[in-house]
Amino acid sequence: MPDGSGHMQPFLDQALAGAADVPGAKVKWLSDLRGRGAAIYGDRGLPGRRDEYWRYTNLNELGKNDYQLANGTAAVDVPPLPHRAVAELASYRIVFVNGRLRSDLCVLDDMPDGVLIAGLGDMIAAAPDRLQPVLGQNLDLHAMPLAALNTAFMRDGMVLFVDSGVSLDKPVHLVSIVVPGDTPMMLQPRHLVVLGDGAKATLIESHIGGSDVAYFNNLVSELSLGERAELNHYTFQEEGPAAVHISATALNLAAAASYGGFILQTGSSISRCETRAILSGPGADCRLDGIYLGTGSQVLDNTIYIEHVATGCRSRQVYKGVLDDKARGVFQGKIHVRPGAQQTDGYQLSRALLLSPRAEIDTRPELEIYADDVKCSHGATVGELDAEAMFYLMSRGIAADAARRILIEAFVGEALSEIRLSQVAEDFSAHVRNWLNTNITLAAAE
Amino acid sequence: MALLEIRNLHATVDNKPILNGVDLILDAGEVHAIMGPNGSGKSTLSYVLAGRDGYDVTDGEVLYDGRDLLAMEADERAREGVFLAFQYPVEIPGVAGLTFLKTAANALRRHRGEGELDAMDFLKFVRDKADSLDINADMLKRAVNEGFSGGEKKRMEILQMAVLEPRLAILDETDSGLDIDALKVVADGVNALRGPERGMLLITHYQRMLDYIVPDRVHVLAHGRIVKSGDKSLALELEAKGYGEYLDAAE
Ligand SMILES: Nc1ncnc2c1ncn2[C@@H]1O[C@H](COP(=O)(O)OP(=O)(O)O)[C@@H](O)[C@H]1O
Ligand SMILES: [Mg+2]
Repeated sequence: MPDGSGHMQPFLDQALAGAADVPGAKVKWLSDLRGRGAAIYGDRGLPGRRDEYWRYTNLNELGKNDYQLANGTAAVDVPPLPHRAVAELASYRIVFVNGRLRSDLCVLDDMPDGVLIAGLGDMIAAAPDRLQPVLGQNLDLHAMPLAALNTAFMRDGMVLFVDSGVSLDKPVHLVSIVVPGDTPMMLQPRHLVVLGDGAKATLIESHIGGSDVAYFNNLVSELSLGERAELNHYTFQEEGPAAVHISATALNLAAAASYGGFILQTGSSISRCETRAILSGPGADCRLDGIYLGTGSQVLDNTIYIEHVATGCRSRQVYKGVLDDKARGVFQGKIHVRPGAQQTDGYQLSRALLLSPRAEIDTRPELEIYADDVKCSHGATVGELDAEAMFYLMSRGIAADAARRILIEAFVGEALSEIRLSQVAEDFSAHVRNWLNTNITLAAAE
Repeated sequence: MALLEIRNLHATVDNKPILNGVDLILDAGEVHAIMGPNGSGKSTLSYVLAGRDGYDVTDGEVLYDGRDLLAMEADERAREGVFLAFQYPVEIPGVAGLTFLKTAANALRRHRGEGELDAMDFLKFVRDKADSLDINADMLKRAVNEGFSGGEKKRMEILQMAVLEPRLAILDETDSGLDIDALKVVADGVNALRGPERGMLLITHYQRMLDYIVPDRVHVLAHGRIVKSGDKSLALELEAKGYGEYLDAAE
């Protein structure tokens, strides 16, 4: 789909070239959906400064490499999972290497009745009808041009269906491992989670990148929760240091549904985790928390849009960032209360700790409220390590670097203490501590 | 050699002169009291000795065991045995008191070439110290000083001092605002630590603490200078007459 200047938007040629022989190419609704993605992205192209919610995160980096769609079939050695407690946790595990399902690494035995965990590629081939009512249904492609790009490519990812009334007995662990070859690769994974009324599940995502070769991971997750459904969702974003990680999550909550999301971001050179949640049924509860730790010249972006459509819903976000060196954080959070969404309870907090004079955070909190009986508040703080606390610790013999680590750990620890699944909490803490030990050293403080 | 020798110490804060030539010699085994009106520079002196940033020494020197104390970073001084009980102990939310104190104690132990204590051994060590001083060790389960009453904060300082066993302890108005019971805890902590190897500077406003801790010397600090020194009777004299004389004298 050429743009006005006659140039093809980046990456689109690869989607169009593969369009004829991608799985499900002959399934009309699916090729229409892909075509719609290609058309919207073709019009918009890569988001940039002209896009209101892309002012702070520049994707010029993507123009520097010739990213080629990973074919995922090449045999590669897969590194062990870094998350020890989660790895040992009994779970259903679905593993993608370079964006493609690796059945040999999955653990999907003895799935209970009413639960489906499968690769999207396999589902497209075997039962596309089951996807039709849900795939692409809750996603605003115009609001997320890179999700439109993903839609144009859509071929693999995870499908998790939990039927009404079913509680998953074990968490689902979605593992994405990127083992780059010699040239920059691109991944366009698409995940779909549908919980029926009253269904309950826990989803853990690990995004892991191997080497320091550049790659572009542009993922989209569509999560839909039926009435009273519950989803706890934990994400480790530990992509490789030269990766661009763009994640778009579309979330729809029916009446009294409850969602708890927690993202720990430390990886990639540029990362954006964008969540658009629609609280469409009365009494829905949406909690999004995150910790991001950045150093070097990393850009870590958290963008959240919460739309209160129904009455009596609650939404809550607490994000904490630690930025060292020249790292930059972005927090954009908008709570949008539609007319009629009375008794909305919305709360948003962004706190950032800047460890170096060159570190930076751009914060943009927004409330847009069209109902009168609502309780909404937001706050943002930016600060440095407390000099008095530093002196107090050091006056007891604790070295400067250790004192810094103690105070940073305390700063993020509050958020970690809210995690209900102990194995996840343990791995999150271990990862934070590891990050601190690697990055907060005396040398780094100079 | 004196444990601590302060010679002609001048210090400024934000370019404002606060210490204007302090001279003081503290021998090992001695306890000296420093008294003086509000704003005379007592806390400034304690911060300069402990190594707080933002206090610029413009003249003079401080020898600790004959070594240049001012050349050391705050953490290094602490590991070498300098301890400051803060006038206003700092609250540190999210840092458990026990973890904090264990980290500090083990940093000192490592420095002295002693093995580190594991969590169990340290807990026992701390409990014994706390029991002997009649301090409730349960406050270490909370975040450092967070939400503590004034008295609890001061007890926490004394417990830290007992655990870290400094050679030079500086107590900055640890007695202020305490009731008699708490005052006794502070005094017991100080007296328990007294020994031929150690020295202490007790900064105080009131002579009442000196009923429990008998000082070897008493100094009056006014306008950033030691203007008078004497024995214990000087404290009684100050109690009777107040500081008016020193306010005028240094004007
Ligand atoms: N951080 C600071 N910035 C500016 N002035 C200070 C600071 N700390 C202390 N001072 C000033 O230094 C003087 C001495 O203060 P301080 O050492 O706290 O006295 P004391 O402990 O004897 O009451 C006072 O005039 C006080 O206002
Ligand atoms: Mg004072």
